[in-house]
Amino acid sequence: MTETQPLVLVVDDAATVRMYHCTMLSEAGFRVREAANGLEAVEAALGAAFDLFVVDVNMPRMDGYTCVETLRSEVGTPAPVVMISTEERPGDADRAYAAGANLYLVKPVPPERLVRIARLFTAGRGVPA
Amino acid sequence: MNSLLAQFLAEAADLLALVDAGLLELERAPGDPDLVNEVFRAAHTLKGSSGLFDFPELTRLTHAVEDLLDAVRAGELPLDSGMTDDLLAAFDLIRGWLAYVTGNECLPATAGADAATLIGRLRAPIGGEPVPAETRLGSAWPDLAPSWLAVFDQEWLAETAAWLRTTSARMRFARYVPDSGCFFRAEDPLHLIRQVPALARLDVLEPARWPAAEDYDEYACLVSFVFAARAGAGEIGYLFRYVNDQIEVADLDGDTIQRFLTGPAETAVEISKPGPEMTGEARAVLAAALRGLSANPTGGPHLISVAGAITQAARALGDPVEIREPDVVTLTATVTRLLADAPPPAENPVAENPVAENPVAENPVEVGGRILKVDQAKVDHLMELAGELTVAKNGLAFLAEGADKEFGRRIKDQHAGLHRIAEDLQAAVMDIRMLPLSVAFARFPRLVRDLSRRLGKSVELVLTGEETMADKDVIEALADPLVHLVRNSLDHGVETVGERLASGKPGTARIALAAAADGDAVVVEISDDGRGVDPARVRRKAYEKGLISEAELETLSDADAVDLVFRPGFSTAEQISDLSGRGVGMDAVRAGVQKLGGAVTMCSQLGGGTTVRLRLPLSMAVTQVLVISVAGQRFGIPVDLVVETVRVPVAEMGRVLHQDVVVLRGEVVPVTDLARALDMPWQPDPAEDRAILIVTVAGQRMGLLVERFHREVDVLLKPMEGLLAYADEFAGTALLGDGLVLLVLNMEEVLGLAARVG
Amino acid sequence: MPLELGDTTATLIGVVTVDEVEELATWLRVTAKPRVNLRKCNHLHTGAFQAILHFRPKVSAAPTDVFLAGLVLPLLMGSGGPPIRERSEP
Repeated sequence: MTETQPLVLVVDDAATVRMYHCTMLSEAGFRVREAANGLEAVEAALGAAFDLFVVDVNMPRMDGYTCVETLRSEVGTPAPVVMISTEERPGDADRAYAAGANLYLVKPVPPERLVRIARLFTAGRGVPA
Repeated sequence: MNSLLAQFLAEAADLLALVDAGLLELERAPGDPDLVNEVFRAAHTLKGSSGLFDFPELTRLTHAVEDLLDAVRAGELPLDSGMTDDLLAAFDLIRGWLAYVTGNECLPATAGADAATLIGRLRAPIGGEPVPAETRLGSAWPDLAPSWLAVFDQEWLAETAAWLRTTSARMRFARYVPDSGCFFRAEDPLHLIRQVPALARLDVLEPARWPAAEDYDEYACLVSFVFAARAGAGEIGYLFRYVNDQIEVADLDGDTIQRFLTGPAETAVEISKPGPEMTGEARAVLAAALRGLSANPTGGPHLISVAGAITQAARALGDPVEIREPDVVTLTATVTRLLADAPPPAENPVAENPVAENPVAENPVEVGGRILKVDQAKVDHLMELAGELTVAKNGLAFLAEGADKEFGRRIKDQHAGLHRIAEDLQAAVMDIRMLPLSVAFARFPRLVRDLSRRLGKSVELVLTGEETMADKDVIEALADPLVHLVRNSLDHGVETVGERLASGKPGTARIALAAAADGDAVVVEISDDGRGVDPARVRRKAYEKGLISEAELETLSDADAVDLVFRPGFSTAEQISDLSGRGVGMDAVRAGVQKLGGAVTMCSQLGGGTTVRLRLPLSMAVTQVLVISVAGQRFGIPVDLVVETVRVPVAEMGRVLHQDVVVLRGEVVPVTDLARALDMPWQPDPAEDRAILIVTVAGQRMGLLVERFHREVDVLLKPMEGLLAYADEFAGTALLGDGLVLLVLNMEEVLGLAARVG
Repeated sequence: MPLELGDTTATLIGVVTVDEVEELATWLRVTAKPRVNLRKCNHLHTGAFQAILHFRPKVSAAPTDVFLAGLVLPLLMGSGGPPIRERSEP
């Protein structure tokens, strides 16, 4: 692992899901960090420059929308954000895009798809193709 | 087990505990939005995580739970006790499944049928089945072909595969391996199989070797079966629900069977083709960018991120663009052009749903600070090491005694320093092991609720002091006595509503579980306002059972009479109910608690209720013992029993009714010769003062004649093992600093022995 | 009676339960060239099925019960061939 590999922050309150996403991303060659809720994610983003955020919607303490909004407005990061929701609810996608997400997906997201999307967003930043 | 599944099981266990507590609380505080939300969130997380595995039934069931709770959360319907029952049943079912998953890494075969019933009930209040959103998750896919497919007649299998392929149909294949003793349980596997609807094929799997004719046991089931049926997996699951661990069902389509028959060569078709898929993702990102732009992002970072996403998507499409100073209009134009030029979308729509606004209620639940989960065994090991350090430290004290004066003093200084550190370490580790009593209390709301319903009694359970902390061993050890006592209260103490009303009490009884810390001990009280214990009846019963003499029948005080219920062989219940009966009585409770160095007392008022008080050490890890010797051998006696040590001139020893006694400050204390009690040969030197240890055992002050007193030491008490495991006169063994193994006495037993001997 | 045991032929009638299993197995064990008549048999307990499978008597008459005739009898007859008798005990 070298510093040039893209750094991804996986934000999800469900430890299993987090582990799942982290495992497949790191197996694909990404450097991965994790956060269990929006607040932790914001804290992490203040301390490191991430190349991609993968954010769950429904989380305690700070939900995904607020988290993404904060990442854009307070942290000021222009890095791509992929939001992943457990279920489709009307209006959720609009909320996600208004908050600053760049892609809104509904679970289940097959592992190869998440990796593909992560590669797309980080291509040219030392990505393992 | 793969680590992801292990993680899921651990997470699920936590969530289930949360849910149970939440649901019961909810019944008491219906509509509490925080509680509903907490339970909802747990169900939601469980559902989300379950989707990562091939547990479609689990996902469907948690989904139904979630939908019901969502309706409650939205205030669309109130949570009634019927719903709570269904929800609890659902989580019980899930708990059972997870236990099964832990062993088998798959759900039991009955999961489908069991889930279907519950899902129906859960969905009834919210208007029946929803659109099956999860069908793509798992159940819609055929299962993998199991290896036992080879047992079927291969020609038949090939024909069936061809037929299934042409009709795009599927069939259920099952393997049923009855256990060899099934005939004794009145099971007849063929009779079960006969009932499978639309059975298409049956094949038998004979044992690899039949026993010789003379050894053949006609009552051992040696054969197993495979069968194929058009019956649904649920129907099969239901039929075989009592033997679900013996049956495996696979739902197979023609292609899967064909692949099984022709071998794995054809299965490796699906190799990822990155090109078109990446194009699909790029289009998805562009479409998302359009939607992002339509929200009219004003903040710099948001707009830059959209521009970045468009650049990356364009790059993936092989149509790179350069965006200098992004603004909404330019970006929208760029995206529109890119989308128009990009190849038509592969079957890969962005999952999103632009329907009417209906924002999700967000009401985050506070979750505690950062918690590190550590394997229990590691903490136990740390505890052992801390204990051994304490013991090793004690070794220095022995060393100091053997050294010359100056050096000895220095060793003692070092010892003092080490002592402090060891104590701090011990305390720190103990603190890790401390758990709140709420852990021990957690099961009671459910237990009381279920049992009181079964008994037709109305009971309110009040828990207090749940935040009191105690060592996990103590908490664990409390579980059984507490269950027994609470059941006892429910069963014998609490009257029916009718009886209560007739005696002028409120119809609903009250059982209280209260915990409190008291110095080095934790005190747990179980009290009820039921009928109380009738001392006269207890006395009579004890007399009938030969537990007390006729004289005692007359003289025993009410308090002492109540205490008789702890005597082995005593049971007040006229009839043993299936709740608290089973022969384990209060004597077992008292013995259990005493084994932990605790005490049980009961006070009761006839007609007014009963209170049982358990007193246990906060921690059982380190015991302070006083080392004494008798007949040249050293023993330990738990310090908390020791009142004082005295030396009495031989002349002052007295004798009353064959019992040696000593008079201490006007009080006559009986003295037991420890050597004699332990059956060891020893005669005290007639010229020397008698060394007598005054102890309090079972509330009585007793003297113990010993040879010599030594020091007090902290020891890590280990239970007796091997041959000595049944030697009740010893509480355990401990390793001393000088390497000697010390036997620690169980004073109750020793004095009981003494009474028998002398 | 679900079980009528002759010198060489056992006739199984109606529902053969676990209670008949021992008697049938003992008879199969000691009979030289056993034959079983399943014509009037409506159900065969798994233990009886297993004994027949093991001792391989000749099935002299096929059952009329659909389940037994269609799905169980073929298993007792070997893989579609005639009843195998070589393994019957002396």
